[in-house]
Amino acid sequence: MHKYIFRRLLLLIPVLLGVTFIVFTIMSFTPGDPAQLMLGESAPPEAVEQLRAEMGLDDPFIVQYLRFVGNAIKGDFGRSYTTKREVFSEIFARFPNTLILAAVGVAIAVAIGIPVGIISATRQYSLIDSISMIGALLGVSMPNFWLGLMLILVFSVGLGWLPFAGFESAKSIILPAITLGTGAAAIITRMTRSSMLEVIRQDYIRTARAKGVSEKKVVNKHALKNALIPVITVVGLQFGYLLGGAVLTETVFSWPGVGRLLVEAIRQKDTPTVLASVVFMATTFSFVNLLVDILYAYVDPRIKSQYSK
Amino acid sequence: MIKNKKFIMILSAIMVFALVLSACGTKPAEEGEPTGDKAVKDTLVIAQGADAKSLDPHATNDQPSSRVSKQIYNTLVESTVDMELVPGLAESWNQVDETTWEFNIRKGVKFHNGEELKASDVKFSIDRMLASKKVAHIVEAIDSVEVIDDYKVIIKTKEPFGPLLAHLSHTATSIVNEKAVTEAGENYGQNPVGTGPFKFVSWEAGDKITLERFDDYYKGPANVKTVVFRNITEGTNRTIGLETGELDIAYEIEPIDKDRVANHEKLQLIEGPSLSMAYIGMNNQKEPFNNEKVRKAINYAINVDDIITAVLNGAGQKANSPIGPRVFAHNDALKPYEYDPAKAKELLKEAGYENGFQTTIWTNDNPVRMQIAQIVQAQLKEIGIDVAIEPLEWGSYLERTAKGEHDMFILGWVTVTADPDYGLYALYHSSQHGGAGNRNFYTNEEVDKLLEEGRTAIDPEKRTEAYKKAQEIIVNDAPDVLLYYGTQNVGAQKSVKGFELHPAGHHSVYGVSFE
Repeated sequence: MHKYIFRRLLLLIPVLLGVTFIVFTIMSFTPGDPAQLMLGESAPPEAVEQLRAEMGLDDPFIVQYLRFVGNAIKGDFGRSYTTKREVFSEIFARFPNTLILAAVGVAIAVAIGIPVGIISATRQYSLIDSISMIGALLGVSMPNFWLGLMLILVFSVGLGWLPFAGFESAKSIILPAITLGTGAAAIITRMTRSSMLEVIRQDYIRTARAKGVSEKKVVNKHALKNALIPVITVVGLQFGYLLGGAVLTETVFSWPGVGRLLVEAIRQKDTPTVLASVVFMATTFSFVNLLVDILYAYVDPRIKSQYSK
Repeated sequence: MIKNKKFIMILSAIMVFALVLSACGTKPAEEGEPTGDKAVKDTLVIAQGADAKSLDPHATNDQPSSRVSKQIYNTLVESTVDMELVPGLAESWNQVDETTWEFNIRKGVKFHNGEELKASDVKFSIDRMLASKKVAHIVEAIDSVEVIDDYKVIIKTKEPFGPLLAHLSHTATSIVNEKAVTEAGENYGQNPVGTGPFKFVSWEAGDKITLERFDDYYKGPANVKTVVFRNITEGTNRTIGLETGELDIAYEIEPIDKDRVANHEKLQLIEGPSLSMAYIGMNNQKEPFNNEKVRKAINYAINVDDIITAVLNGAGQKANSPIGPRVFAHNDALKPYEYDPAKAKELLKEAGYENGFQTTIWTNDNPVRMQIAQIVQAQLKEIGIDVAIEPLEWGSYLERTAKGEHDMFILGWVTVTADPDYGLYALYHSSQHGGAGNRNFYTNEEVDKLLEEGRTAIDPEKRTEAYKKAQEIIVNDAPDVLLYYGTQNVGAQKSVKGFELHPAGHHSVYGVSFE
């Protein structure tokens, strides 16, 4: 098991190299000159030329990339082109905000998705099942910026219970987390339901029932544990996805997270910030995936035995 | 069962770990934050659409940063909301000869770190501006700064430079403290120290900047104790924040929300002129735009009033000159081109384009400009000109229009100093072709001469005369289509008193109080 984890961590190196290389290439070959963007439309052309030279933008592409990798290994991701801050401290200041939002969002999604999925599966084709499946369909299809705006209208403007934007207090998390969690909850509900439906038709469930085990125990102990394996994958993926893809929600709620920082940086062609954010997100995503795989081993003895071989 | 328990334990451990980790980065709500209780309200919460980039006035020249810096710093000369130049950190000045100015620095002015303002800080600041590519163009006329004694400096310009005082009122020429800058090094932008009415407290990146009243401010302490600048990206959300009472002031209310704010019982909409001008540029070096008749025909064919009504909801004033009425030496006598498609067709015929021609108009993804492009496309179609709209990403838009690859394009210009030199020289002098500002690639020797005269003359009357004449020739040559002067707006609680809009777009909140 330890060997396996170590191997997976080593794999992170080529992943990060690949990701940064692709992003660096895209940033370099898309139109727009960072020096011009930094100085604005009224800057004299000589100043732009000079700044380009100072920033090393005139060097060949591969030289620029290797310089970035060299510095990154030393832990130096440089300073943002636009704010002149060290990009890593900027990301560290914002990443906890994104993490807490994603964590609460996923917690909400799990809290709704798994129980609703189980109930739907055990009462297939009942009214409850239909209602929750319609709900899940709505949850998946609803654009989350729209949901966010509706929540603001009801809970901030209408009732005045919750703050409309920003991260002022713990209360601020509620609306954006619900906005984020709704889509994930819908996906988890559907996944739990179909996975449960498959499991409860298995022979060992019939055996358990034949033994006279109570229905509650059959569902919660024998069926759920086996049905959870694919659900864990989905939860892990959703968590990773929310860490990187919460841009719309962050914008609607003016949430000071990494997603918005990244989009802003892309618009400004702020390559150091973009690269550092991408490295950060890729690393977290890989870690979440690794955690999911480790969790598998705990849930499914078959997988665990593979590791120990 | 044991395995199942283990799984749940691991899952909850991860969740708890995530929560703890996140909690490390966020502070609990600070004490004394606004609770909505009017009796103790001394925190002014202002929202704008973007976070500041840097609070080092010499490191950036963008509006969101300047709006915050304006509260932290002072300039030697200040411009009032009526664009009058009045003494700031310089108590008085006089011109020794054509290129030499003597400034007397106010005594007893304190920086937020307790240091007293000295002439050496002024020299340090101006030298620092000259070395910064972001703002050097604002002070490029300055040759040297000489410290005479602690409270007197001599500023020498390279050649006679009329608009010097106006340039020294620009927020980018804010005076910084030498010691604070040297100590903070590269992190000065996040640790600003000025002489202004509010001192810097904290900056939560992407979220908000908190400032606190500076009790030793040389004009006396401000009315409110704390000022918070929040970054609320979505325009509609800023209006919502006003409605819920969480914001006291919101900059840039969307046109669609204006009535909502104006008609709200607890809110007020404050509107005023800005120093911005929007125009449609034409490449004067390229066929058919090198033909004056074609350019005039396009001017007659575009109905600017339609654009102001449809796109801006009326928040604009039709332009009659490249510089607006708030700018010094604006020529009121000029008449804008009136909408006259018949005359436009006639001019096109005279120019030999009876059947029109095909061309392109470039714009960036700014929604206002996209809508203008569509209206222009429809209106030019009426006189037979087929226009294709090409939206470009901002960086390449600037780059390619600087190279002269365009036919027509939509852009704006803000005459921040309210001096015509800033608004005319870069846009119409033939030495400024391309990226420097003259993206029309317009050349007229007489205009060149007048603009140079206006720049180097010191006598205001002489300058006025030169600039009025220059505006007249430019409008007659029609190198571009002048659209409108933008107006700006701010939404605020009715309880907010004493807020004044500055035409340059950065408003001082020193005089603001709660009722």
